Amino acid sequence: MSMYMKAGIRMTSAEIVVIGAGVIGTSIAFRLAESGRQVMMIDRNGIGAATSSACDKAIFLQSKRPGLHMDLARESRNMYNTLEEELGQSVEFKGAGGTVAIHTEQQMLFMKKFVHDQTQAGINVSLLNQKEAKEQQPILADDIIGASYSPDDAEVNPLKLSQGFATAAKRLGVEIMTHTEAIGIEKSNGKVTGVKTSKGVISTETVINACGPFASSIARFSGVPMNIKPRRGVILISEKVDPIVNGSLLDAQYIAAKHLSGQQPEYGIGLSLGQTDSGNLLIGGSREFVGFNKHVHSDVLHAIAYHACKVVPALTNIRIIRSMVGFRPFTGDGLPIIDRSEQLRGYILAAGHEGDGIALSPITGCLVRDLLNGGGPTSRFLPHLTSDRFKEKTLL
Amino acid sequence: MDCVICRCEEVLLSDIVRAIEDGYTSHREIKLKTRAGMGICQGRTCRLLLDQVIASVSQGPVPKTIGIAPNVPIRPIMLGDLAKGGGKAK
Repeated sequence: MSMYMKAGIRMTSAEIVVIGAGVIGTSIAFRLAESGRQVMMIDRNGIGAATSSACDKAIFLQSKRPGLHMDLARESRNMYNTLEEELGQSVEFKGAGGTVAIHTEQQMLFMKKFVHDQTQAGINVSLLNQKEAKEQQPILADDIIGASYSPDDAEVNPLKLSQGFATAAKRLGVEIMTHTEAIGIEKSNGKVTGVKTSKGVISTETVINACGPFASSIARFSGVPMNIKPRRGVILISEKVDPIVNGSLLDAQYIAAKHLSGQQPEYGIGLSLGQTDSGNLLIGGSREFVGFNKHVHSDVLHAIAYHACKVVPALTNIRIIRSMVGFRPFTGDGLPIIDRSEQLRGYILAAGHEGDGIALSPITGCLVRDLLNGGGPTSRFLPHLTSDRFKEKTLL
Repeated sequence: MDCVICRCEEVLLSDIVRAIEDGYTSHREIKLKTRAGMGICQGRTCRLLLDQVIASVSQGPVPKTIGIAPNVPIRPIMLGDLAKGGGKAK
């Protein structure tokens, strides 16, 4: 303790400490404060400054696997309908629908089955022929053979999302400490007693690890092992142009890269296209396991650009002004871990949303709230989000 | 008197000051909050001005965390031209 005193650092306490202020941590802090908890949220950088600001803006329902994955996404998507009202500010949410472009017969076969399964699961999605697809998304290439479309897909500005949750949380009394890095967890008799940070110790009995792809480093302090790997995604950003994309656009290769194992395209390339209110296009993307390496080889950029021009030739003469590199927290089964630790009482993990952090941000706050309260509207999902579902895999 | 700090995104000094007062104290946080440095020059023009505003409002040193690091491509490039490079992934 003396080393912190020496640095002139205060000691403080909180009922709950949330580590990580991205779209997940801020949502959790907001819901916990709303339910009357005294919360402190810390982040080593700032609000939404890492993964949550290096991602696309789509809230896709039709890209999810029917079953639990879909049910979670659907419930979270519905929470967006009232979110801006709850937060008291705009997050640029728009229910503008989503399109998945199909260009090969092989993709058509896969997508026919995918759309069929989703329709069975009660998702509002339909298969469009070439003419209908071009009407829905006029910028698509002439040689596409069809598309799937769902009016329930939506979009949001991820920057405004974490800022909106953080501002609302602050209003409810959450103390936010940015530029404050967690460097250890204090324990006694198998229980959490505090969080060591770069600015001092916070006494607490409950700590929530909401560090996304960086969750493993906090898990190391807790002594509770876990398996979340960073999966790198690169997105190109264009100059501002007039609105040219209706809602969000993916291509079937993206869906295949997400759900099919074995036949991954090189660098995990698949198109994701969205346009911000300011007019910039977000053109993705890649999916690679390269650790936390932020240095992107130019071949990856070329490959993203080549694929995007093929699906949407109208992008060819648009200028790219910068790029984003983000790390998605990969768990292996596409679902996050929302669970208490068995070994260390008071330690809770809420991470591993991979590419669905934006879609699942609203529900994650409710999941953690219900986990702590021992019940609530979302608690039926919790038995499926435990960390021990990976136990056998970890042993292998 | 107000003035423009980021010309690409037309962000005013008052926008930056408000963001810092709201707790967005580093380059990157200010960029994410106000869009300063998010435009076509990637902060090459406004970066030094931002440094001065941060130091003057917070009356301290600039936080030594992620700043506005210019990213690839370093100059705007047509997507079609970017697509022509490489060759490995085609």
